[in-house]
Amino acid sequence: MASMKARILSLAAVATLVAAGCSSGGGQTSEPAASGQSLTMWTFKQSHATALQKAAEQFTAQTGIGVKVEAVTPDDVFKSKIQSAAQTGDLPDVLEAHAAGEDLELGASGLLADISGDVNDAWKGRFLPSTRNAGVLDQGRIDRAAADSPFKQAKAGSMYAVPFTAGAFGIVYANKEKLQAAGLSPDTPPASWEEFVAALKTSTEKDPQAGGLSLGLKVSQVGFNWIYQPLAHAYLGKEKFQGLFGKDTAAGFGSPDGVKTLDLYAQLTPYWMPGATTLGIDEADIAFAQGKSAYNVGGTFTLAFLAQNGMSPDKVLTFPIPPSETGAHKDIVMAPLALTSLGVTSTSKNRAAALKWIDYVTSPAGAGIVAKESLDLPATDLGAEAATLMGPELAALQKYFTGDPASTYDAGDTTFFPGGYDQVKPGDAFVRLSPLKELDPAQAGKELDAIFGAMWKSAE
Amino acid sequence: MASRWKEWVTGWAFVFPAVALFAVMGVYTIGSGLALSFASWNGFTPNWIWVGLENYADLLWADPALAPGVRRAAWNTLQVCVAVPLLTVLISLPLAVTLNSVRRLRGLLRSVYFLPYVTTGIATYYAWRYLLEPEGSINLMLRSAGLGSLAQPQGWLANPSTALWTLILILVWSAVPTATLLYLTGLQAIDPSMVEAARIDGAAPRQVLRRIIVPLLTPMTAGIVLLGVRDSLHGFQIFLIMTNGGPGGHTNVLALETYELAFFKGLAPTLGLSSALGWLLFVGAVLLTLANARLLRRVR
Repeated sequence: MASMKARILSLAAVATLVAAGCSSGGGQTSEPAASGQSLTMWTFKQSHATALQKAAEQFTAQTGIGVKVEAVTPDDVFKSKIQSAAQTGDLPDVLEAHAAGEDLELGASGLLADISGDVNDAWKGRFLPSTRNAGVLDQGRIDRAAADSPFKQAKAGSMYAVPFTAGAFGIVYANKEKLQAAGLSPDTPPASWEEFVAALKTSTEKDPQAGGLSLGLKVSQVGFNWIYQPLAHAYLGKEKFQGLFGKDTAAGFGSPDGVKTLDLYAQLTPYWMPGATTLGIDEADIAFAQGKSAYNVGGTFTLAFLAQNGMSPDKVLTFPIPPSETGAHKDIVMAPLALTSLGVTSTSKNRAAALKWIDYVTSPAGAGIVAKESLDLPATDLGAEAATLMGPELAALQKYFTGDPASTYDAGDTTFFPGGYDQVKPGDAFVRLSPLKELDPAQAGKELDAIFGAMWKSAE
Repeated sequence: MASRWKEWVTGWAFVFPAVALFAVMGVYTIGSGLALSFASWNGFTPNWIWVGLENYADLLWADPALAPGVRRAAWNTLQVCVAVPLLTVLISLPLAVTLNSVRRLRGLLRSVYFLPYVTTGIATYYAWRYLLEPEGSINLMLRSAGLGSLAQPQGWLANPSTALWTLILILVWSAVPTATLLYLTGLQAIDPSMVEAARIDGAAPRQVLRRIIVPLLTPMTAGIVLLGVRDSLHGFQIFLIMTNGGPGGHTNVLALETYELAFFKGLAPTLGLSSALGWLLFVGAVLLTLANARLLRRVR
């Protein structure tokens, strides 16, 4: 009797395990979107979680489909959680990932589903033009990838995500009160790099401890990415700028043109806020919000963070990195790039409902709710509604997105970088150029050419 | 026969949880980590790509974009590995001897010196960052004491010539309490009659320390040096939190490089490289341990 009981219990246990195995992950089957379904979503941005949950309430009211949004921060925790969830089949239905990179890697690795058949032209047409194809893996990207990259196994034309938030790097924030105190105009941005450096000199002389420029140089590549690249692009023009990163060192950073751009960047050296190299990106923004610097460099997304840290948007003057008077272009236009994107996981059993949710949250209504709550620019073009939904300061940042195409700096264009490009190495060299002054512009040029030469060689 | 069988089952029932835990958490993890060091993987794709010894070769010499950085990190790691155990011993031994001879407030003093150990590492690293800022307490104290020329206007962590040694000193500060406690334990195990006999024979306190106490504490010193080497090789939190390897890569160490390769290379397939670097660190630790054991045996 006892053995019979044990046998029945064993069979029941096996049946339960089989049922559990069948129901957890791995399945490609999808139910049609229906009221009563419940979706799970992970984001790596805390500020987006609340905003998305607010949009989800509206979505649930309209469709009856529930959405539970969970923030997983910081980035390395988000990544390792996805890694372990992928192994155990516990991925959520929807993921918000870094756009035009992380989302493509997740898709090519089989974690995000190809939704190219679901996102039609009308849907794509909602987005700012330069962000529309951010989630599409093109042949060029596959060709440039290293031999062991998962891109090599993916199909060109696959779409793994739709853009969600957009923005641009290289936006300068200036504290209006400090500008006024230093005798500078709080309403007129400097017209050129030279005027900007002169304004920095004035504000630093007025307040040596808290009149300088803050930037989170503990993440060494931010000076290179956010200040140098737009500056060099405007100074040299697109072709020569892209040539800096190429195999031909005659046109590289050590060339006369390259050294001149490095020299322009090095002019910042006396004006960094004390200890800038020990600050992370958020810490530098907080230092600016606390009045420890007069200027701060970030992206369009920085405005929301400053507001969260007590700095009212109307207290700051914003402008893109100004171009040099002696450069090829006399103004800088920042092409908006997709910053984050939304994808449906390949293991989701609620694919139709997940797509419906993404459709809603990237519609003007859904994106408007998220933008208003998070103070983050959506990739969805909100048109005339932008100022009402996002507030005048955030909407004003969009004016830097349009202008002469020749002057437009597109940080999303990575076609000229070596495969396996690692931005930390040139970033470290830039920190050694400024503020550390361990290298002069000519030495930095040589070192950067060596770094990029090694990357090209490594990619071969 | 039945009783022996029962005994065998009972024995295994007690041992099995520990064996299973070790098999899953120990053997599997170590084996999987070793296998990964011969593969290329980003943590997401279903399959690993086997690359043989390529990861090791890339780290040591073959990849021009990788190997120079690893060598610089190795040099920084070596400085930490030598300086931290050495300074820990040089500070904690005299401290333990002093604490052992103090009669009044002994308990209080021991608690005070043990405080850094009981405070959470991450929290203290943040506290140290505030102290080391340009306007932090260390610069303030130096300026107040008329030693303003020694203050660091950019902060102690932003100057390439002070950053690594500042981190080394903080590591020593956090290692001294355990080392002192170990030495105190060792001191209390020494037979007082030996010290007494030496004193009666006319040995000065300095000679007692050098000729009797230090040799008798050699096993403790070996243990402290080994702990210091291990922490220096594997510890990356302090470097991650306080400098992230900066400024300009001046405080990058191998353990931080391993962490960066695993988690901060986008989703590039660098987990195999990270694992290979971890195994190189393991080999380095074994070699240093053997060298240390041999050296101490010779001293003894």
